[in-house]
Amino acid sequence: MVTLNSKIPQGPLSEKWTKYKADQKLVNPANKRKLDVIVVGTGLAGASAAASLGALGFNVKIFCISDSPRRAHSIAAQGGINAAKNYPNDGDSVGRLFYDTIKGGDYRAREANVYRLAEVSNNIIDQCVAQGVPFARDYAGMLDNRSFGGAQVSRTFYAKGQTGQQLLLGAYSALSKEIKAGTVKMYERKEMMDVVLVDGKARGIITRDLQTGKLERWFGHAVVVATGGYGNVYFLSTNAMNSNGSAAWQCYKKGACFANPCYVQIHPTCIPVHGDYQSKLTLMSESLRNDGRIWVPKKIEDSEAIRAGKLKPTDIAEEDRDYYLERRYPAFGNLVPRDIASRAAKERCDAGYGVGTGQAVYLDFSSAIKRLGKDKVEARYGNLFQMYEKITAQNPYETPMMIYPAVHYTMGGLWVDYELQTTIEGLFAAGEANFSDHGANRLGASALMQGLADGYFVLPYTIQNYLSKEIYSQPIPTTVPEFDAAEKAVAEKIEKLMAIKGNKSVDTFQKELGHIMWNKVGMGRTEAGLKEAIPMLKALQEDFWANVRITGDTNSMNPELEKALRFSDHIELAQLMAKDALHREESCGGHFREEHQTEEGEAKRNDEQFMYVGAWEYQGEGNEPQLHKEELNYEFIKVQQRNYK
Amino acid sequence: MSLVKLASITKKITIAAVGAFLLLFLPMHMGLNLCILREDGGEWYRNVCHFMGTNWIVKIFEVILILSVLVHVVVAILLTIENRKARPVRYAVPSKTKTHAGSKFMIYTGGVVFAFLIIHFINFYFVKFGIVVEDDSDTYTVEVEDLQMHLNEKVALIQEEMMSGKISQEAAQEQMMALQLEYMPFLQVLQTGQPSEKISKDGEELINLTKEELVQFAGEDFKEYEPDFYTMCNKLFAQPMYSIIYLLALVILGIHLFHAINSIFQTFGLNHKKYNKAIEYLAGAYAVIVPLGFAIVPLFVMFCK
Amino acid sequence: MNLTLKIWRQENARAKGRFETYKVENISPDCSFLEMLDILNEQLVDKLSHPVCFDNDCREGICGMCGLYINGRPHGPDDGVTTCQLHMRRFKDGDTIVIEPWRARPFPIIRDLVVDRTAFDKIIQEGGYVSVTTGGVPDGNAIPIPKKNADEAMDAAACIGCGACVAACKNASAMLFVSAKVSQLALLPQGKPEAARRVQAMVAKMDELGFGNCTNTYACEAECPKQIKRSNIARMNREFMCAKVCSEE
Repeated sequence: MVTLNSKIPQGPLSEKWTKYKADQKLVNPANKRKLDVIVVGTGLAGASAAASLGALGFNVKIFCISDSPRRAHSIAAQGGINAAKNYPNDGDSVGRLFYDTIKGGDYRAREANVYRLAEVSNNIIDQCVAQGVPFARDYAGMLDNRSFGGAQVSRTFYAKGQTGQQLLLGAYSALSKEIKAGTVKMYERKEMMDVVLVDGKARGIITRDLQTGKLERWFGHAVVVATGGYGNVYFLSTNAMNSNGSAAWQCYKKGACFANPCYVQIHPTCIPVHGDYQSKLTLMSESLRNDGRIWVPKKIEDSEAIRAGKLKPTDIAEEDRDYYLERRYPAFGNLVPRDIASRAAKERCDAGYGVGTGQAVYLDFSSAIKRLGKDKVEARYGNLFQMYEKITAQNPYETPMMIYPAVHYTMGGLWVDYELQTTIEGLFAAGEANFSDHGANRLGASALMQGLADGYFVLPYTIQNYLSKEIYSQPIPTTVPEFDAAEKAVAEKIEKLMAIKGNKSVDTFQKELGHIMWNKVGMGRTEAGLKEAIPMLKALQEDFWANVRITGDTNSMNPELEKALRFSDHIELAQLMAKDALHREESCGGHFREEHQTEEGEAKRNDEQFMYVGAWEYQGEGNEPQLHKEELNYEFIKVQQRNYK
Repeated sequence: MSLVKLASITKKITIAAVGAFLLLFLPMHMGLNLCILREDGGEWYRNVCHFMGTNWIVKIFEVILILSVLVHVVVAILLTIENRKARPVRYAVPSKTKTHAGSKFMIYTGGVVFAFLIIHFINFYFVKFGIVVEDDSDTYTVEVEDLQMHLNEKVALIQEEMMSGKISQEAAQEQMMALQLEYMPFLQVLQTGQPSEKISKDGEELINLTKEELVQFAGEDFKEYEPDFYTMCNKLFAQPMYSIIYLLALVILGIHLFHAINSIFQTFGLNHKKYNKAIEYLAGAYAVIVPLGFAIVPLFVMFCK
Repeated sequence: MNLTLKIWRQENARAKGRFETYKVENISPDCSFLEMLDILNEQLVDKLSHPVCFDNDCREGICGMCGLYINGRPHGPDDGVTTCQLHMRRFKDGDTIVIEPWRARPFPIIRDLVVDRTAFDKIIQEGGYVSVTTGGVPDGNAIPIPKKNADEAMDAAACIGCGACVAACKNASAMLFVSAKVSQLALLPQGKPEAARRVQAMVAKMDELGFGNCTNTYACEAECPKQIKRSNIARMNREFMCAKVCSEE
């Protein structure tokens, strides 16, 4: 059984990280060359960690499931990256960024980690500028900032609407430099299938070559997992098709605790689902809510007529429209926080007022166009309108847009201590893959910050504290029984899957899983719903292992097999999410239990009982996982109720 | 350094630089051609042809020009081979991508232009060396003074041989007679020739002869003549087929030039938002005006003569 | 919509490929092109056949993973989009759609429509970066960068590395890809110290990998889903010439 030791350094908050760095053990250059580090994942966290570790002199192997590190889904982040630079002189500081992040996370994040994140945020900007990331500049040639997600200060740095892309390409370029220098070896189109433990320490991984199907063994003195989040458990999400929670799940099954799996962020302004063939959802910038008004028809018959195609939204008279956000939240109106806007949309649609397929609400710009003129609206949102039209073939200048919430980010992940080490010694987790510094909810423009903070400025230090003890360990040959066993297990699993030869495709199961998760473990969760979900998920898992049909072979590129392997992990992960959601009898951030809300429909936390990180430990096949609690102590800030009224 | 091993951009720059040089030559050539339009019985035209054929600076440039064409062609072929190799399996559906006008066919338009150049050389350039003889009716311009000197040389040779006793006095006299007999018509022309046969250029006396006469009078080794391009030109363009081929080749040259000029700027990195439109217009203007200038000559000969 | 698909199938790099014809029925015009292929793959799985392999990931036009040569055009008939952003409403009921993989010597086929584009990574590894290591860098505002340069660098940096430029070029040239990176770093002061070395090394690698030569057809620009401009190629030519003539490296 594990004990959670967060290893938070003593001392005042603002000195913890400085003190840690002063006290930590380092590895001398001659020894660095002898130490192998495996990094899995090439997103912001993985690529930046590998590049930094390579530059320090470690032997790094980095693995990527795509054809190039540049495909990682960090690339899709649009908005920007936060930093406490205070360039606009509007009162920002490390302390304020720290406070905003903790508050945004609904007081479910670790103070010391968040403070460190805010501290290194400034270094990230400097680092990226030095790499040649083309951040937006003003006419003086200085870095431009904007305010994002309702923040009171302008602290968001951006590169057009492609900040994630530019930051990832920055990390990718740093990685490329190290690959050229020979300190980092790049392995593309290889998926991690298992982590190998020798004497209780993570010593390597098993990968499957996605081109040849070959299982391969890799040794490392330490393993870093930076494989992103598990939003694809919901099937439809803004995540990329290949994003998956498999690697993290493998670590969990080898003994790493999985923390807060129920914390899922749902973004309110996505393009709605338009058919059951749909493969993913596209995010529309949140800024649209600045001028767009959200509504559904007041009369349920109007909604029905619209859904049947008998009425057009423009046919509905002004007095027959229900601007439900303005009605319910007169002060904030359409600008209420993400979770509230999302839930309100779901509430209307569930009540039968939805438009489109029934799972959509209108985002109307007609009054903005009347007020500002079409030109001004076009100047502000032109590219977004264009993107919308490309996807839906509807002109938002003439007919209201349709939007609906979608799964966007997962705050939960592998439990890590202050050093980003999981409960398995030598196994580290970075970026979205760890349970992160975001608590129960992530602020806009903070995901990029956390990924890069972990990779550039945290892990390269903290991993040395571990590796300094490893300088005497000789590389372990990958022929030891532990590797044999791990590879054999993977091979058997693949064989078993291929042998089922059932009658349902993997996608059928994935869609079913998504359906259950979205309805029962989605935006609004209830005890009854969660209790229903768990047996449903179990039944689905059994159905999968009995009836899945995977065609093709195992020794060449086979997307069906890849999907099946990932699904087999996601279906297990989904059960843990439901279990976690069920146990957390409160509403906080991205976790909303309908039983726990204020009279106005706000999330109602239960700090007395649930101010902890819920970390689950795997207990073996068929056994209930064990919950460990890491109590959160807020020494430096006052815990308050989030209030948006 | 092997040509193949040069960097792709170096090859591109080479081909562009050489092309730019060739571009400078074209308007000059066009200007010379247009001299034919002057109704002076070809005096200007012959004068420029003579100048071009005899001036030593021009001769140096001639060599550079020919080398340029060869480099341009060789590098183009090399690039084409490399480019074909870069896509060993072609697409089943031909590309529907919009490309810059003419750019996809440069090697073909270039090939046509090169083929035309060879014909052009046969007609107008190799004749100069006597390598190619069109037909007997072609006329060549010879400087009277040169011919006279040639005759004198022959006479001197006979006299020398006689003096040294290699041949007898009788034999020498016989040879002199034969020589005089042979040269009789020529000498007659010199004395009584019509103005159309006797031309004056830069104060020199010139005479037109057929190739047959030339060989007869001056011998195979006589080099001091030049073709009468004026007559030759008029005769060639009087043939409709020849003119049509010539005109078609010019159209293709225009297409080649339009992309070429744009391309030169691009390859040299001379790209600027402010001037890109101007470059496009310049290329268009050049690609129309220069081939048109060349086209005037056959059109003039066909329709105005 | 009912459609006939002619799709290139090839087991691996060495195998001989062929076109296979498939029919898909009742496709919604709102369906994206890749979703249409998902539907086809479901059909193939039903028939116990090996699904068609095609690269895809983000499905929102930014990762650069997808790339199909559709009816004679990379990323299909729309301008400025990736294959995943192409929707079936661009086609008509009864159409025959021919789908081919990217064709270029440096992009060998892995399976069906999936090609190996690691050649791009190899070019970047030759110098598509500023050689800073983590830490020890000046403040982000220490060097002012004219807005125009920053914006232009951003436009060049928008490249997603999908390879459509190579696929579109009749010579399979990678000039647009390489020049986008060279341009981005040439426009920024951070990139200046290594500019001469970078452009020479990257061009040399590009040539070595077997990409064709640029003949300025601008097919790359026409097909680039991110509409990267050919002026980047001009800038790279300029950089290259200056490097060759002036630099001692």
